[in-house]
Amino acid sequence: MIFNKHGIIAANFKHTQKEKSMKKSVLFTAIFLIATLVLGACSQPAPAPTAAPTEAPTEAPKPTEAATEAPTEAAPAATLRIWADDTRAPALEKLAPAFLAEYNVALNIELKSSLRDDFQLAAPLGEGPDILFGIPHDQVASIVANGLAAELDLGEKAAQFVPSTLDACKYDGKLYCMPYATENLAFFYNTDLVETAPTTWDEVVEMGEALKAEDKVDYIMAVTGTTYDLYPLYTAFGGYIFGKDANGNWNDQDLGVDSEGMIAAAQWLKDQLDKGNIPADWDWANNHALFETGAAPFIMAGPWALDRIRQSGIPYAITNFPAGPAGEGYPFSGVQTVLINEQSENKLLAQAFLTEFVATEDTMTELYNVGQRPSAFISVLEKLDDADLIAFGKAGINATAMPAIPAMGSVWGNWDTSILLVRDGKQDAKTALKEGAEKIRALIANPAYGMVNVPGSYQDQAGCEAAWAPECAATQMSKNDEGLWVSGPFALKAGEYEVKVALDGNWTTNYGVDGEANGDNYKFTLDADGEVDFVYDEATHLLTINVK
Amino acid sequence: MALADKPKDAHSIAESQLSKIIRVVFMIAFNAGALWFIYQAYSKGFYQIAILLGIIVVFFDVIFSLKKGYPFRWMAFGLAFMLVFVIYPIFFTLYIDFTNYGDGHLLTKEQALVQIENATYLPATGKSYDWTAFKSDNGEYALWLTDRSTGETFLAKPDEEIQATKPGDPGVGEADAKGVPQSIEGYTRLNTLLAAADKQLPNIKFGLAGEEGLSTVQVRSPNEAAELQIRYLYDKEADTLTDQETGRVYYDKEGIFTSTDGRTVQPGFRANIGWKNFINFFTSPALRGPIVRILIWNFIFPLISVVSTFALGVSIAIMYNEKDFPLKKLIRTLLLIPYTIPSVITILIWRGMLNSEFGVINRILNAVIGTAPRWTTEPIWAQIAVLIVNLWLGFPYMMLITSGALQSIPTDMYEAATIDGANSWQKFRSITLPLLLVAVGPLLIASYVFNFNNFGLIYLFIGGGPAIVGASTQAGHTDILISYIYKLAFESGGRGVQYGLASAISVVLFILVGAMTLFQYRFTNMWEEVSENA
Amino acid sequence: MPDNTVIKKSSIKKSRRWSVAIRLIVALLLIAFAIFPVLWMISASFDNSNSLATQSLIPANAGIANYKRLFNKDPNFSFGEIKYWQWLLNSIKVSGISTILSLSITTMAAFAFSRLRFKGRVSILKSILLIQAFPNLLSLVATFALVSNFGNIVSAIGLNTHAGLIMVYMGGSMGMNIWLMKGYLDTIPRAIDESGMLDGASPFEIFWHLLLPLLRPILFVVSILSFIGTYGDFLLARVLLNDSSKYTLMVGLQIFTAGQFDKKWGVFAAGALIGAVPIMLIYFFLQDQIVGGLTAGSVKG
Repeated sequence: MIFNKHGIIAANFKHTQKEKSMKKSVLFTAIFLIATLVLGACSQPAPAPTAAPTEAPTEAPKPTEAATEAPTEAAPAATLRIWADDTRAPALEKLAPAFLAEYNVALNIELKSSLRDDFQLAAPLGEGPDILFGIPHDQVASIVANGLAAELDLGEKAAQFVPSTLDACKYDGKLYCMPYATENLAFFYNTDLVETAPTTWDEVVEMGEALKAEDKVDYIMAVTGTTYDLYPLYTAFGGYIFGKDANGNWNDQDLGVDSEGMIAAAQWLKDQLDKGNIPADWDWANNHALFETGAAPFIMAGPWALDRIRQSGIPYAITNFPAGPAGEGYPFSGVQTVLINEQSENKLLAQAFLTEFVATEDTMTELYNVGQRPSAFISVLEKLDDADLIAFGKAGINATAMPAIPAMGSVWGNWDTSILLVRDGKQDAKTALKEGAEKIRALIANPAYGMVNVPGSYQDQAGCEAAWAPECAATQMSKNDEGLWVSGPFALKAGEYEVKVALDGNWTTNYGVDGEANGDNYKFTLDADGEVDFVYDEATHLLTINVK
Repeated sequence: MALADKPKDAHSIAESQLSKIIRVVFMIAFNAGALWFIYQAYSKGFYQIAILLGIIVVFFDVIFSLKKGYPFRWMAFGLAFMLVFVIYPIFFTLYIDFTNYGDGHLLTKEQALVQIENATYLPATGKSYDWTAFKSDNGEYALWLTDRSTGETFLAKPDEEIQATKPGDPGVGEADAKGVPQSIEGYTRLNTLLAAADKQLPNIKFGLAGEEGLSTVQVRSPNEAAELQIRYLYDKEADTLTDQETGRVYYDKEGIFTSTDGRTVQPGFRANIGWKNFINFFTSPALRGPIVRILIWNFIFPLISVVSTFALGVSIAIMYNEKDFPLKKLIRTLLLIPYTIPSVITILIWRGMLNSEFGVINRILNAVIGTAPRWTTEPIWAQIAVLIVNLWLGFPYMMLITSGALQSIPTDMYEAATIDGANSWQKFRSITLPLLLVAVGPLLIASYVFNFNNFGLIYLFIGGGPAIVGASTQAGHTDILISYIYKLAFESGGRGVQYGLASAISVVLFILVGAMTLFQYRFTNMWEEVSENA
Repeated sequence: MPDNTVIKKSSIKKSRRWSVAIRLIVALLLIAFAIFPVLWMISASFDNSNSLATQSLIPANAGIANYKRLFNKDPNFSFGEIKYWQWLLNSIKVSGISTILSLSITTMAAFAFSRLRFKGRVSILKSILLIQAFPNLLSLVATFALVSNFGNIVSAIGLNTHAGLIMVYMGGSMGMNIWLMKGYLDTIPRAIDESGMLDGASPFEIFWHLLLPLLRPILFVVSILSFIGTYGDFLLARVLLNDSSKYTLMVGLQIFTAGQFDKKWGVFAAGALIGAVPIMLIYFFLQDQIVGGLTAGSVKG
């Protein structure tokens, strides 16, 4: 065979061989020789000779003796490792020398692009930082549940924080993070195009359509997302996520994803889209750019976008949200926080750092300067003189804290899906939101939603902890190609057994003999040790028991 | 290559002596270093690594001392590296398959227990103080305590009874604004941060343990020291926790201590859950839904990629194959450009170019034909966009390998075909293409396998999006298995990280790719060739 | 395609001229397709607005503002300190060392697989092949844990060290490089070894004096390709490195893509361009050698 792989290799090989120069081969031999020597010299798996040994922060010199001496000694008494986002990292970087000089503790700031994900990977292995800087409060709950956030005690400093921001950091009544800033959306309009701010959504449409008719803009409004970013619109129409109980706690039984207001708002969006008033692509960056280039006169944006809007040079003003049928819309409010790694060896020091150094007017002012968000620290908040941020505060005066309850985890995705289905015209607003809400309700009530099971007296032999357990995953059924639900075979001892069919991991929906809801138990007998499997038809609710 | 000139015997004898010395020296050095490392690993509690390296040491010792081990000496380092950095992680991943390692269960049971056992509570009768630390010259601590409810002040030292003391007492300096003495004889006052810098401080028990064990005081936070009590007692035999405050008993239930009435003790920990991850993967409708779609796309995407890049590459190779084609070298060089830039960079550049609203492509399309596809939000256009980018990334490679192969097709075959009256297309169909396919077939399969797992493109270009509406996990229309697993495992996005489930899916992926690899080498007869030579 | 070896000269000359013309036009289109993204990247890097939304192919306000930002010469661009040259240096160091060490080790292993006969040879080779099929991206958690543990034993090879990263890269490249180098070695006729053996040379002498000189050109090419492959990795490096002074270039560039990427677009393009130049130069100068090396294996994807 001429054309086998090797033939070609040989051909090219020859070709390259011809071109080699003496110099190159000498060089290569030298490199190879060095490599071999390095290898030979390695007593352990290749510690590369040029890599500088790093000082692991856990191996910082023990602070015993040095700490008692003058804090101006050369070696820092301890090191705190801090992970921060790209906004906070430079600010902390600036503060580090002052902190070192004052307390003889070094700060090691590391910039991370996905703080929480990296933290969840590193922290359980003891490789996490001591402090995590820049976590939104609604993410704290899951970090706490993973045992990665340390309980905090701000002592008398607690009184210097805006109380609602501290509440956002509490989980089970205990404080797990320290707030430093709040954030919420506000309504922006282009002052070149619009003279007076619209006060209702009807005015928004009216003004926008007029501009569009004059060909001054492409869209009447920029839309930067599906859920959080549109919340002030939903609330103006009367939509909400969770209601509150008498004590002001979130009530996860009162879900508002399919409330009248939410449906009306979704329908409004679809209508505007159909009229070409809003873009079909709700990409965050693109829609911001629409506003910044003057292609859309209105946008709902957060303080994180202030910088880019200012830089764009577009004339803008910030105002309260337009009102809808249910009154003035209000946004979600979020709290930005710092937390301490529970796995850290420096928890006490980290806490002291937070209370003694971060929770001071100077540091909080610095954080305010880089972050451009209203501070959570009262004395800094009182000095707030940035007109834009004051406007943000006004727009967020009725803001509702983003619910940091576990049920929220089931909401985001399904809510987003429903809105997307409406946007893309795949379902009408009512159906999409009703179905989405049903899914959420099922998830909240019961994580085993959708499970088909055959609970019965046999279950303790089939890998379940006890018999009659409708939630036991070991006996759950799966759907086969013919659309029938099957489970088993289970190896059982000789004896008499009783079973039933139960849906969604509980007894709420269950079927007995003849497919009757809440009917009698099925019974079967094994004369000798044997196997049994089950087939369930969801159309007739009948269960077939095959004993072998 | 001057071997032949040298006197044969002298040469080989000298060489073998030398090599023996080198070998012995190497073995001594290697053993010393490795044993030191193993000792370090063992003494710090990393038993798995100690065992792993132990295996390597034994392996090295055997092959470097026995004559039979000679061939293995050549590959010793290579195999050792593979064992440590490839095989061991694979086994670790296989192990994770059977655990619920992921959100809510990130810690090991030991870590969780340490944390749970360290949990303390302040009994109703317990006292709580403000504290200030003092340190003696020989490193011992004393705490100045102010009772939070009564305002009484005390001086507490380890293993000594706590003394009610006031500023101004003998040996105690005058009080500052906060009522804390400025000095205590024999001790230096520490500011909170300086005291907190000592990791041991929270563990020190001040005062004498009384009969109820109530009277020792520990530092709880920078502000508070208190008569803390251990909250949970762990019974190793029964594997239960008992809450000392409430008396409630908790059992280990799949990685979280749970009481019979459903309360749990945080944090959860990794637990063995058997085949559950696999069962979930194959049965849960929520997970399965997007998987089928992703799998289909996962097979189609590399197929179209390979076919399109190959088609373009071959066309170019044939079009500019003539030796005297004008500017041949320049054309080739310019067409090679996509291949020469690290793909991480070009993929991101393409991401900007195909931005639906502001990308240069859509601006041109809008200007020329008045409309433009929404590359990032419409599923079908997103898939087309991915394929276009991959065509751009991949065609130069195909061009290179096919033009190499074209060189080796003998021209007399074409001459014969021309005499038979074949036109160019017929010649291509019946001569060029079959011969090319034979020659570069294995590379095409390799390219298919590569694209099957082309994480970088999918993830960087579009992150797998647009999202599949209705999927309960973060799945997108351009997601392939590997990007889907990556998102599942490492990007929490609402649902939390799920290492266990992701590992289970990666095993499925492993089997698929393994099968393809085997097929590739079957195809190229490499097995037979390897076996023949054995 | 050599279908122009026919005899009717005059008509062929004419039709050939046409075909060349058409092919040149096609070439122009193809070249446009190939270099357009690069031109766009260059244009973005010189567009002072630094924004994706306002960029056009010929920048409206051209200048070197992005380069100033990249090298921390613009106080208004607050993105922390960008240690660009440090990152580039780190990339070259990490890729260079891991490539040289990895190829040294694998060439020797490949020699044994290609030239020596021993028990277990086929099964080891097969196993290596199969193991390579495991998507090592997915053992990221395990790799992270492993390096973390190493660091706790000897801190010089743990997380956030280049040595640790290099070792992981080396481990990952072993399997493929062994197969690749074995493939190349198999193409060298055995007659060469046999002549050496007749002269009484030991296997090492055969390897060192006879085969290695023949392998040099191809080793050179493979090392360049392997270098480029490592140079382009960002996933492992991102997870294993913490300090921004330790970052490799791709990790450094990647942080521009986090958050509001469209507003750091120009700086990213500037950084990407400088980072791409060394590799492009390598390709252009060594084009022929690389083409030769590529035909036998796909090193870069």
